[in-house]
Amino acid sequence: MNNKLVINYIPGPTVLHKLTGFTKVLLFLVMTVAIIATYDIRILIPLLIINIIEIISMKPNYKPICTMFLITFVTVTLLGNVMLFIVSPDAGLNNVGANNVIWTSANGKFYLSKEFLWYMLAVFIKRTTSFASVMAFALATTPSEFASGLNKCGLPYKICTIVSLAYRTIPDIANDFINIRNSMMMRGVELSKKASVGKRLKNTVLILVPLIFTSFGKVSSIANAMDLRGYGKNKKRTWYAEHEQTKWDPVIRTLTVMLAVAAVYYIIRYRIIDPWPVNIWCPWLSRDEIVQTEKELFILNWFKKQ
Amino acid sequence: MREPIISFRDFSFRYKTQKNPTLHDIDLDIYPGEKILILGASGSGKSTLCNCINGLIPFSYEGEITGSCTVNGIDTVKSSIFELSNSVGTVLQDSDAQFVGLSVGEDIAFAMENDMLPRSEMVPRIEKNSSMVGMQDFIDHVPFNLSGGQKQKVAIAGVFGNNVEILIFDEPLAALDPQMGMTAVELIDDISKESGKTVIIIEHRLEDVLHRHVDRVILMSEGRIAADMSPDDLLKSSLLSECGIREPLYLTAMKYAGCSLDDNRNLCDLEALEFSDENREKLRAFFTEERQSVRENTEDPVVSFRDVSFSYDPGSKVLRNITFDIRKGERIAIIGKNGAGKSTAAKLLCGTIRPDSGTITLAGTDTSSLSIKEIGEKVGYVMQDPNTMIVKDIIKDEVGMALGFRGIDDEEAERRVTNALETCGLYRMRNWPVDSISYGQKKRVTVASMMALEPEVFILDEPTAGQDFHSYTEMMNFVNTLNRDYGKTILFITHDMHLAIENTDRAIVFADGDLIASDKVFSVLSDPDIISRASLKQTSLYTLAVKLGLEPEATIRHFIEYERTVKGA
Repeated sequence: MNNKLVINYIPGPTVLHKLTGFTKVLLFLVMTVAIIATYDIRILIPLLIINIIEIISMKPNYKPICTMFLITFVTVTLLGNVMLFIVSPDAGLNNVGANNVIWTSANGKFYLSKEFLWYMLAVFIKRTTSFASVMAFALATTPSEFASGLNKCGLPYKICTIVSLAYRTIPDIANDFINIRNSMMMRGVELSKKASVGKRLKNTVLILVPLIFTSFGKVSSIANAMDLRGYGKNKKRTWYAEHEQTKWDPVIRTLTVMLAVAAVYYIIRYRIIDPWPVNIWCPWLSRDEIVQTEKELFILNWFKKQ
Repeated sequence: MREPIISFRDFSFRYKTQKNPTLHDIDLDIYPGEKILILGASGSGKSTLCNCINGLIPFSYEGEITGSCTVNGIDTVKSSIFELSNSVGTVLQDSDAQFVGLSVGEDIAFAMENDMLPRSEMVPRIEKNSSMVGMQDFIDHVPFNLSGGQKQKVAIAGVFGNNVEILIFDEPLAALDPQMGMTAVELIDDISKESGKTVIIIEHRLEDVLHRHVDRVILMSEGRIAADMSPDDLLKSSLLSECGIREPLYLTAMKYAGCSLDDNRNLCDLEALEFSDENREKLRAFFTEERQSVRENTEDPVVSFRDVSFSYDPGSKVLRNITFDIRKGERIAIIGKNGAGKSTAAKLLCGTIRPDSGTITLAGTDTSSLSIKEIGEKVGYVMQDPNTMIVKDIIKDEVGMALGFRGIDDEEAERRVTNALETCGLYRMRNWPVDSISYGQKKRVTVASMMALEPEVFILDEPTAGQDFHSYTEMMNFVNTLNRDYGKTILFITHDMHLAIENTDRAIVFADGDLIASDKVFSVLSDPDIISRASLKQTSLYTLAVKLGLEPEATIRHFIEYERTVKGA
């Protein structure tokens, strides 16, 4: 079961795996805030390296991670950039602050600037860093640790239990889905590539009907099982999954707090008190060279030019 | 006289959504330390009765209560499900759904977590409770890799978490193979003896529960208590058949042999049963009498597996070099514990998975050249839970659905649907909504929707799971009609040895990916090696034969042959 969906159900053997759920959730939350706060690759790259070290230290099965990274991530990013290039070649100007054109199309409608490429690079690094941080967290944390960690961070425990219950039922529902699909295919419901996309979509809906009804039946059994064992009796609950701290927990927690302080300082100092005039810092543009454009939706810009 | 721990007085209950009460005038006392079996057919109110004890009624299922129910000194109506959960532990029927944790340890801890016990106190208790059910080596295991029996053990350890006085087991045998079921009955008995807690078992499989002693049986019928007596007295009475409960096989055999039941001691425990001399003679005579043997089937094979191997992941074979034939018109029981390969074999036959090597032939055609859809016209696969198959709202549409997908013209489709509905006894209900019919009828609808495709072979996955003796008999009569009158080949994937004995000609037995037997049911069930490898259990006929000093195989064969002549099958 482990690693099939990059979800760990069994805690692994490495230092990061063995940390308490609270430490892992805390680190993940602070990391997320830090990544959201900036487009500055001078900050993003160290964060990316930290996350990659985390991933490597856990000795994971790289295959599903790479597949996920390549298929869902790189393609989406590439596609997004091509689209952006078509609708808004000014993204470089708007976000980086200049337009040093290096190529123009024959009819003059499309042009590529150095700043546009820089913008794409920064966005790519930012997204990769968040991907790596999510991956590191998913690899290190079992769903139960996630739930107990969230609870310890102050989220009501009923919401946290939903998280762990969802993970509990995903494999079962996947199994039901496969069985129902097989029986439907035997009855002649065409789900292979022979049928058109529209027809396949319609036929998939047909599978969902029994799937939803059987899942509803399970929900009521689970609810009864939980009631009978006193779920919701008290305002709080304890967690078996939140085990004793290892010797590394205080270390990682201290580092996390330091990262948090640094992130807060950065946000206050460089995003609120003295913000950079545009979104993205760029090595070849000094502060005086930056052109600030009017903040307008790029779609409108495009229409104006027509 | 001791004080009862559970006491019902003039108790009646009506579900909010129903017109008539489900329980009527219940008067019942259960004393501390007793081991009680609550017996009854589906819809007799036995589960409802237990839900009144554990507090699901009235806290989760609303309804109208009259009279009183006191549990451990608490009036349930004035209490809460949480207060009751301190006294009553319930192990639900669905061992999968009640597994809420993501590991064994976590699931056992669930009740303690809700009680806000610090983790340092949880860990030793989890160790203690898990070793009580023999799961101490599995604490870090995830639910997805556990068998039904193991999940049930975890559930038992889990309800022990809050040190309850009363333990309720709701149909503990429903999802288990025969050997696991026997282990469960033994485990429950050990717990009741060691802990001295009050134990209530809800079941309709009387023979399996009586494998170990119970103090009293409460027989429910149509919402009332039909009997409250010792198991011996109950077996002697005629109440079992009146209330739709299957009697133990050895008892059937004794009745066939013309034995009188009154003058035997320990009737409920075959091991300790003392036959009167007269009965002993009658049984010996019955089992040695010559009888016409079952006719051999000499038709052509309709299904053949030749050296079929299959694995989901490279390196771990699920099936190894399987070879067998099934002749047209045969009724086959496919037996083996969960994960032994029987469902995989069925899936291979259906074409939803394809063999790594070897060939599967279906009515003379190699299935590798057929699509799933084409195989679906020759093989009808009926899943265990009809709710996972039914898509349409109206019975007639559901039955005709597969024909629509195959572009069969309306006139022909109409004829086939009518025919299928008539065969399955559903024609009268053809325009009814599917929601309005019972579970057993839904099961028929799924068979009918397969029938409409006019397949040669039917595969029925646990056709009798979750059904009591009445609907079991109805279902099997119906399937036997398909076999006898329409010449259909029937494959049962089943754990139910009663079904195999009474309704099949041959058993194909899987164990750990190998086919270990393909033989007459009586031969399989009298081979101790096969029995232990396939996680079966010896039927009471076997024990009876040994007790009488007879040869088990011949005894079981005699019983089957006699039964077939009586039933005319």
